[in-house]
Amino acid sequence: MRLTSLLDHPFRDAYAAKFGALPGATQAWIDGLRQTARGILNTSGLPGPRVEAWKFTGLGDVVKIPFLPSSSAEDIDVREIPLGVPHIPGARRIVLVNGVLSAELSDAVNDPPGLRIGTLKHYLAREPQILKPILGGLASSGSYPMAALNTAYMSDGLVILADKNFPGSTLHIISIGAAGADPVAFHPRHIITLAAGAQLNVIETHIGLPGQSYLSNPLTEISVGENATLKRYVMVAEDNDAFHLSTAAVALAAHGTFEAFHLVVGGGKVRQEVAVAMNGAGATCRINGLYALTGKQHHDLTTVIDHAVGHGTSSQLVKGVVDGQSHGVFQGRIHVAKDAQKTDARQLHKALFLSKGPEVDCKPELEIFADDVQCAHGAATGEMDPNHLFYLMARGIDADTARAMLVSGFLEDAIATISDELVRAAFSDLVQSWLKRRAA
Amino acid sequence: MALIEIKNLHVSVQGKDILKGISLTINAGEVHAIMGPNGTGKSTLSNVIAGREGYEVTQGSVSFDGQDLLAMPPDARARAGVFLAFQYPVEIPGVSTSAFLKTAINAKRRTEGKPEIDAMEFLKLVKAKNKALGIPDDMIKRPLNVGFSGGEKKRAEVLQMTLLEPRFAVLDETDSGLDIDALKIVSDGVNALRGPTRAFLVITHYQRLLNYIVPDYVHVMAGGRIVKSGGKELAYELEAEGYTKYLAAA
Repeated sequence: MRLTSLLDHPFRDAYAAKFGALPGATQAWIDGLRQTARGILNTSGLPGPRVEAWKFTGLGDVVKIPFLPSSSAEDIDVREIPLGVPHIPGARRIVLVNGVLSAELSDAVNDPPGLRIGTLKHYLAREPQILKPILGGLASSGSYPMAALNTAYMSDGLVILADKNFPGSTLHIISIGAAGADPVAFHPRHIITLAAGAQLNVIETHIGLPGQSYLSNPLTEISVGENATLKRYVMVAEDNDAFHLSTAAVALAAHGTFEAFHLVVGGGKVRQEVAVAMNGAGATCRINGLYALTGKQHHDLTTVIDHAVGHGTSSQLVKGVVDGQSHGVFQGRIHVAKDAQKTDARQLHKALFLSKGPEVDCKPELEIFADDVQCAHGAATGEMDPNHLFYLMARGIDADTARAMLVSGFLEDAIATISDELVRAAFSDLVQSWLKRRAA
Repeated sequence: MALIEIKNLHVSVQGKDILKGISLTINAGEVHAIMGPNGTGKSTLSNVIAGREGYEVTQGSVSFDGQDLLAMPPDARARAGVFLAFQYPVEIPGVSTSAFLKTAINAKRRTEGKPEIDAMEFLKLVKAKNKALGIPDDMIKRPLNVGFSGGEKKRAEVLQMTLLEPRFAVLDETDSGLDIDALKIVSDGVNALRGPTRAFLVITHYQRLLNYIVPDYVHVMAGGRIVKSGGKELAYELEAEGYTKYLAAA
């Protein structure tokens, strides 16, 4: 299905010269993964509008930009963490510039016992045996188009390994996108593995510096062991000219918990794809989020939750406010396998139009093959409820204040699903600043 | 001078005439009750007074303390001292009850040229009022009306009324869905606000509420008109005889 071709593009030539210099190039297994990925890109290219899963998010504009590969933090000099990065008290900050670790901007602390954090480069060079069984195991190049692009050109990323019963820690990964004189693309590859009983909070902030366009294409492979809990909170505030196309592939073991929240307040074109394989019985998955779009911003949250075995619980609440000529997309597929009895799967998407110009597309897909399950999905898009507005005004609150309260309330209702109190407060602040910027 | 004066009020909704010439004068200190069968325009009257969209006034006027009420937007009416206790208070997720109450109180105080209430004063004030209404303090931390029972919603309406201290309050079927205990609490809340400077219009289908909030005047509404007015004894008569004869007359 070659619908748009990435590889007829300067993009490819700029990358070709780099092949030999990519990390792990001398190791046959890595080279093999990359060759397969490049083969897929050669035959399929990037998904075009006729690919069902990508019909609402076209990449025609991406392939027109002559991105150069950015593989080192030294390409561009970023001396401080940009404004707009939320402060999460007690979180250890790990800063990536164009997908590469910046030791200078990151907090200099030792890993606590039971937690190992290193770069992909480091692990490929020193401990490839740890990565070999993991890398590409959850996100194969054939499954996700962006995974193929990532695997072909991944140059660095973070490897985060929590040992059995690791009692918990909060990491804040700050990804800064910064193009110099030319547009750049980067393809960080992250691994997060929690052994049985481990707990970890990972906050990701994706932010950019104004300037030339950049393409951030992170891929994260996440494995949550038995009775382990990972909370992953992702905030995207990329530059308005930037592209952010991310993929996360998650595997949950028995009684494991994966809680995710995706907050999107910036970026030119953003697509976040999250696929969760609920492989163990009694696992819990929560993927909630909200997007607040203005101008010509485009955001797509695509989730795939696979209830492979029984007694699993999944819930999703995704809310969006759209203004200007923006475009919001939510696609949520829930698959309940034949033997996945006693599954409880819920999904709700709501979008609020602040003006007449935006577009919202919602595509829920339920594929249920088991008979003893509870599944519910709902979608609602519309303008502000006049009954709500009247109620507030009937108490003396002026129309502008009442509208602002209702938009804020609409969004805070999603924020309330974040179980971590500090992140909830920080994300609430981000929403409130978005509202203030809009009102200004 | 009359606090509220409704003169020959005609209202249509989507081209259909609902109110067909209502005239009613309410003085400060008085409690009036409007009773009538369902679908006769009682809620239309309360919505027009509060300023809800979708109602077209085709004739007549409503003045409040000498001002043309119909020319004011709903928020200005509320700040001037008009209050509607809703028959069906809406649930608004994400907006905390306390933030809503504080915003409403301060909107009114600003209009009156008073300083805004601070967080401590506000909490103290709400706690005191909660106690009288049997409202648990943590209720105001919850999103506005979300998951409140029918009784809690009506009590919350009375709490709002108590905090905003309106000069004229319309209670639209405040008794619907209340058990006898809740009815008593709500009525006590209303009675506590009665006074020489304040007036009430109590809209109800049943006489029961009027045992607790005893009106000075009772009006029977049918077919979009007030067809009979009298003292509180009129309510007992209606309870005994029903609305049938008024429906026929309308």
